[in-house]
Amino acid sequence: MPADPSKIKFLVVDDFSTMRRIVRNLLKELGFTNVDEAEDGAVALQKLKAGGFDFVVTDWNMPNMDGLTLLQSVRADPALKHLPVLMITAEAKKENIIAAAQAGASGYIVKPFTAATLNEKLAKIFEKVGL
Amino acid sequence: MSDFQGMEDLLQDFLVEATDLLSGVDNKLVDLERTPDDRGLLNDIFRGFHTIKGGAGFLNATELVTLCHLTENLFDKLRNGEMVVSNEAMDVILAATGSVRDMFGALERGVQPPPADPELLASLRSAIAGELRAATLALAAKPAIAVPVVASAPVAGPDWQQLFHAVTEVPSSAAAPSTKGAVTAGEPVSAVSSPPMATVAAESPAQVVQRAIGRRASDKPGYQGPVGRRDSERSRENTIRVDTARLDQVLNLSGEIGLTKNRLNSLRSDILNGRSDTDTLHALDQAVSQLDLLVSDLQNAVMKTRMQPIGRLFQKYPRIARDLARGLGKEVELVLAGEETEIDKTMIEDLSDPIIHLIRNAVDHGIESPEDRRAAGKPEKSEVRLEARQEGDHIVLIVADDGRGMNAEKLRAKAIEKGLITDDEANTMDERQSFNLVFLPGFSTKDVASDVSGRGVGMDVVKTNIQKLNGSIDIRSSPGKGTTFVISLPLTLAILPVLLVQLGEQPFAVPLSMVREILTVEIGAVQEVGGRATMVVRGEVMPLYPLSYLLGWASEGVPEYGVLMQTAESAFILAIDGFMGREDAVIKSLDDFRPKGVAGVTTLSNGQIVLILDIKELLGALGDNRGVPRSAFRQPAVAA
Repeated sequence: MPADPSKIKFLVVDDFSTMRRIVRNLLKELGFTNVDEAEDGAVALQKLKAGGFDFVVTDWNMPNMDGLTLLQSVRADPALKHLPVLMITAEAKKENIIAAAQAGASGYIVKPFTAATLNEKLAKIFEKVGL
Repeated sequence: MSDFQGMEDLLQDFLVEATDLLSGVDNKLVDLERTPDDRGLLNDIFRGFHTIKGGAGFLNATELVTLCHLTENLFDKLRNGEMVVSNEAMDVILAATGSVRDMFGALERGVQPPPADPELLASLRSAIAGELRAATLALAAKPAIAVPVVASAPVAGPDWQQLFHAVTEVPSSAAAPSTKGAVTAGEPVSAVSSPPMATVAAESPAQVVQRAIGRRASDKPGYQGPVGRRDSERSRENTIRVDTARLDQVLNLSGEIGLTKNRLNSLRSDILNGRSDTDTLHALDQAVSQLDLLVSDLQNAVMKTRMQPIGRLFQKYPRIARDLARGLGKEVELVLAGEETEIDKTMIEDLSDPIIHLIRNAVDHGIESPEDRRAAGKPEKSEVRLEARQEGDHIVLIVADDGRGMNAEKLRAKAIEKGLITDDEANTMDERQSFNLVFLPGFSTKDVASDVSGRGVGMDVVKTNIQKLNGSIDIRSSPGKGTTFVISLPLTLAILPVLLVQLGEQPFAVPLSMVREILTVEIGAVQEVGGRATMVVRGEVMPLYPLSYLLGWASEGVPEYGVLMQTAESAFILAIDGFMGREDAVIKSLDDFRPKGVAGVTTLSNGQIVLILDIKELLGALGDNRGVPRSAFRQPAVAA
């Protein structure tokens, strides 16, 4: 876990604002208070390109640009490809997991989840990327 | 802040957003019937159910999750072209949407929704299974909130199982160094050897199983069992989404008012200290004018925070119209216009039922059967238009059909038959008055009330509800071309423009919206027709009611003025002693004590309290015999 969680800037991407709020609240519970939001992949990518983000938590199924495309775009962008991306979805179908893994997702979390589950996933990712 | 409190907010958010989403889905379903192959639509609908499911999971609403999950699976097949949208599929889908809405209703009342109708779930499952073996997947997922990982594993065969284990059981410590490399490299790698997947589901088997069976005690998001909400919060949506720019304006204005108040305070001490020179008075005048302006701006700004686009109300109607039309074997398209028109939030809620009734009425009574339409040379598909627009300080709502129209003659005959009016009355009625007969309690144009329109609620209730909102409703119709209901509503319920009239020295307020004109009453012009005092205004014979008579006061003098007032069904002259002008009255209702004929009270600028009269109620008190004899009108004058 990073020494100062509030230093890590998150981007929470979901088209359902209630869900963004849930994720934001869970992150806050874990001490991650620096959170911005985007309502779809396209908006998210724009924000990410503007810079300043350390971590992306994204929904899968969204209009305009879905989470998988966002992930692929992030990985294809030399400036962004190092960003940890945690995928959130209501499903844990094998195709989804494989697709996410192949696209280079840092983690995969199934709705609904608790702060504890989220923490677990985040800790694993932080450990790997050395944040 | 307790967890519970936090979740209560979440529930509200969810309901507001998910209800919008569901209305959108409903409308898309109506579109889908027309273009069953539209992949974009199928995708949107799929996503709608998917999103609702996701949110519902966090609320622990298991039954809602199950229902959405099945519906979503069905749409997954539809959008992937594995199935086609059949009528049967459509019926199941529509039933499922209705059931989701019912569940929202339960959540709104603060209880966990009960399971959906088992038959519905069974039809959903068979619809999914009908095409593909893989439909068993959906069945397996039935009791789960978050278990498809586990549930789907046994179904999917050994390969996947192996993969699944490989994925879930890679120890994270071993994966750590290479993971970083893999992620940075960003290369597509096979899932089995993919280190990033280490984080996918690195849970102990016990945890996985526990997740499959139920939630751990430490699970916080979601309600722990049924949720209690305050009683006052039930039944009615009590939150409102307001544009922050509007709130900022309110804040800004209240700040400005604070500054003006300070200025007035300082002027007051100046004046109390004896300063009354021109400069001081001028400054006072300025400050008061400014306050005047600011307060009316603030009133407007506050009112605006309550304004909501009427589209939120309109959204649910296309589906209702479609269901009705289908049930009646008619083809109807509901065309919406002016959805962006803004209207007071309470009115939106109170308008919901009247509009449903008008749409039902249009589809059931207004629109002809397809055969009749063909015979009349009309397109089989009929159009019902629901439109909103702002006209001055009023909102106008229109429900128009292109059906058979109303027959004034028939309506009059029906009303006589039902004993609602007499032959004499019928003979004096013009077309418009005849149309308005449908608003009489006990009037129904069909001999047998159908189960569509005839649900014990008549058009009279529609009218009463509109009138409660200080609105009016009018009918225009031409045979063969269709019928149009025009509802006119004030922009807000809080402020009512009134005309102040006087009886002796006592002022009364009447709604300005009913006032057509003010005229002088000359006793010589008052005639008695059929036992009623009347006056002829530009060729139109109007009954004349002295206000004193309506109020049951002894008449003291000859009323000099008349206010020509228009209600939905009739026009009449209210005879008064004088009038004071118009005012924007802030209505204070008399909740516990409400004398008949009094809508509320308001305070005049001079501090005097004035009753706001409910003219329709006063007229109603006259009973069937609405006539006021000429003698009752002007006894003293006769003596003189």
